Amino acid sequence: MEATDLLYVLDRQQPRRLRVIENLLRGRRTVSTLYWGQRYQLLPLLDADKHLDRGALMGPTKALVAEGLVTLDPEEDQLLLTSAGQQKLSVTYYRPQTSEDWLNLDLEAARQRLLLAVQVTSQYAHSTSRYYPLATDLATRRVIRSWFHRLKGPQLAAALATAMIHSWQQLPVQTAEVMTDLLTGYQHPGLTVDQVASDQQQTAWEIQLRQRDGVTQIARDAQQADHPLHALLHPLWRSPITRSAQATLYAVEQGGSLDQVAMQRHVKANTVKEHLLEAAILSPTGAFPFDQLLPAHVRADFAAVLNADIDSWQFAQLPEALRTRYDFFYFRLYAIWRGRGMTDDGVTDK
Amino acid sequence: MMESLTSSLQRVFGFSTFRTGQVEALTALEQGQDTLAILPTGAGKTLIYQLYGYRHAGCVLVISPLLSLMNDQVARMRVNGFRRSAAITSLTSYVERQEILRHLGDYQFLFLSPEMLAQPQMLAQIQQLQLSLLVIDEAHCIVQWGPDFRPEYLLLGAIRTKLHQPLTLMLTATAGKTTRHEIAKQLRTTPQVISESVNRPNIFLDVENVADEPEKQARLKSLVGQLQQPGVVYFSSKQQATDTALWLHQETGVRAAAYHAGLDSEDRFKIQQQFMAGQLDVICATSAFGMGIDKNNVRYVIHYHLPADLESYAQEIGRAGRDGNPSVAILLYAPGDEQLPLALGQSNRPDETTIQRYYAHPQQFSAEDPVIQLLAFYRQHGISEAAVTQMFTGRERERNRALAQMMAYARETHCLRERWLAAFDEQSPEHTVACCSPVNVPLDLTALNLKREQRATTAEPQREDWITRLQQLF
Repeated sequence: MEATDLLYVLDRQQPRRLRVIENLLRGRRTVSTLYWGQRYQLLPLLDADKHLDRGALMGPTKALVAEGLVTLDPEEDQLLLTSAGQQKLSVTYYRPQTSEDWLNLDLEAARQRLLLAVQVTSQYAHSTSRYYPLATDLATRRVIRSWFHRLKGPQLAAALATAMIHSWQQLPVQTAEVMTDLLTGYQHPGLTVDQVASDQQQTAWEIQLRQRDGVTQIARDAQQADHPLHALLHPLWRSPITRSAQATLYAVEQGGSLDQVAMQRHVKANTVKEHLLEAAILSPTGAFPFDQLLPAHVRADFAAVLNADIDSWQFAQLPEALRTRYDFFYFRLYAIWRGRGMTDDGVTDK
Repeated sequence: MMESLTSSLQRVFGFSTFRTGQVEALTALEQGQDTLAILPTGAGKTLIYQLYGYRHAGCVLVISPLLSLMNDQVARMRVNGFRRSAAITSLTSYVERQEILRHLGDYQFLFLSPEMLAQPQMLAQIQQLQLSLLVIDEAHCIVQWGPDFRPEYLLLGAIRTKLHQPLTLMLTATAGKTTRHEIAKQLRTTPQVISESVNRPNIFLDVENVADEPEKQARLKSLVGQLQQPGVVYFSSKQQATDTALWLHQETGVRAAAYHAGLDSEDRFKIQQQFMAGQLDVICATSAFGMGIDKNNVRYVIHYHLPADLESYAQEIGRAGRDGNPSVAILLYAPGDEQLPLALGQSNRPDETTIQRYYAHPQQFSAEDPVIQLLAFYRQHGISEAAVTQMFTGRERERNRALAQMMAYARETHCLRERWLAAFDEQSPEHTVACCSPVNVPLDLTALNLKREQRATTAEPQREDWITRLQQLF
């Protein structure tokens, strides 16, 4: 991420923690990262830059501060856009089209499978068998090999081209251009992200966002059983909730108390709570049993003392009586519940 | 009776004649002789062990230094039809490693890093294999990197003994007398030496003095703007390689890209393939670039930074002119350039006091520090404080000697080739104007026929739309 890109994950009103943004991009899935990622509406970027070094965003941050585009608090963590920063935001900067699906797809695996499938099919279409395959992991090579042996034939190349064109026609044309440039195939080594960025005069991060759109759109269309990439991409749709958290959630839904579930699953009581918070954040709306874990009377207790500014809430500042009755877990769960736009009187915060 | 080497060559590769050095090395191996083959870049060193592996049952174990390139080596083996090839490095995922280990006995070619082979469990597995040949690729690394960078290289001799002294092939493009002697000593063998001259008569040698960094940049830009393409510019820093590629593109319009070990495998793949396909005019590279790049028509190699020794320099300029056509190797030197290799050499070297203090209280030191890791390695292998101190002192002397030799090349005023070849104990042919232009002689590209014809700048052809481009792939 360059300084320019950082502007687009910040806000004029809501101070955002640099550490949270960094951990989100690096895929550090703590409850705190997920919670704040949701508050910042940045959750789709979870895992978006696994190789980001720790502290790598500090350089761009300092550059933005020097230009007067953001402010940084004395602890060097909370960032806020200034009005100059706000004005700097450009309408031409890329806004992703498919981000609501990003958490539900193993995007990196989908990208690798798509690229290798295209290369293998392209070389096959030109009757070449001696070429350097893209370097991918063993699992990807395996699944492509078996896919290719099942589907190879005179129709494959045309079917794949048609399917890809159909998908990318649904996206901005520049995204389709970028995706085509990134592909590797017969007599076409393909461009690197940096090369495409320089050609298109965009940042490398924007190219990555476009690539996420390009891959996600194909994965969406490949949910159709007759799509040539169905067997490769369909299995990569998944719930963003870890398997372990899903199991905890299931056990709780079966009616166990938190302590019983902890015993039954051989985990600490605190782990059960973390699993449930993760599930509360990442579950689709309506799919999490808020009413069971956070009954109306508990919500009323919190509602009586908390205002509408969720981000300003602090557990330590609750009245002592409330802190004795409910631990942090309930406080956080209530914040998630409110943050997801749910209220008892049917009026949403948003 | 076994088929002749030439019949095997014909059968596997479809060639009817060997290149110089290949048949001699193969013959020595066939006679059961450990062999040190010193053959210039592009001589086809890989073919030697490929063909030996093809002719003999068992596994060819290749010890290779560059983690990032080992997977490329395996890819190349597969393209050449040797499908039962695999590499295990510290970058190999756990799942993939387990998978390879389960089928270890099935591989015909196995690539390992010295660090991987030094692990006791791995070594135990390898001991179970029937090895037809042990290959030490880029064997000069034993000397260049061993003591203060990758000490596992120094275990190779002991490991070789544990593997019951398998037939061993040591490969390198450059090794003077000292290096040859050191390789043989480390591997505890007396190999037959097959060596071809390191001289590359079609590469014109040039050294140019510049006053400072800005002047060096200006000279680089001017050279890149005039020289026949493609070319390679070597740097000591990844960042500078990256920045300069961008700058050269902006300033001169050449198609430039950076290549270094920091790139991810996809970018490395694409840039290599673009270069091979003639879609790039210049690569701005670090020393990670080169091993295994089979591109014959590189017309120039420019060194922006001073290499640490003539062996590295010879390796890197060897990428030029593999097609035998006129090419040029240019070294740009600014006063003080020797400070960089000097500092790089010092950075990983503990001084006497540190060694002393570490051996007295090893637990007081942070294991994060690479210098301490190095000392810990030696201590764990039972090497005494005195021996370690002596080794590092000797190592520093050796580095300084090598750097002084490199500097002597940079300052040479009579014949660069003579200076270069002398370092490899070779006699140079009589000096002529077609040989080199030392620091006091200006470079005349026109006379060398290496000046690029300046074509009238034609507008770039209109790019076709993405749908057409996508359809062309299939």
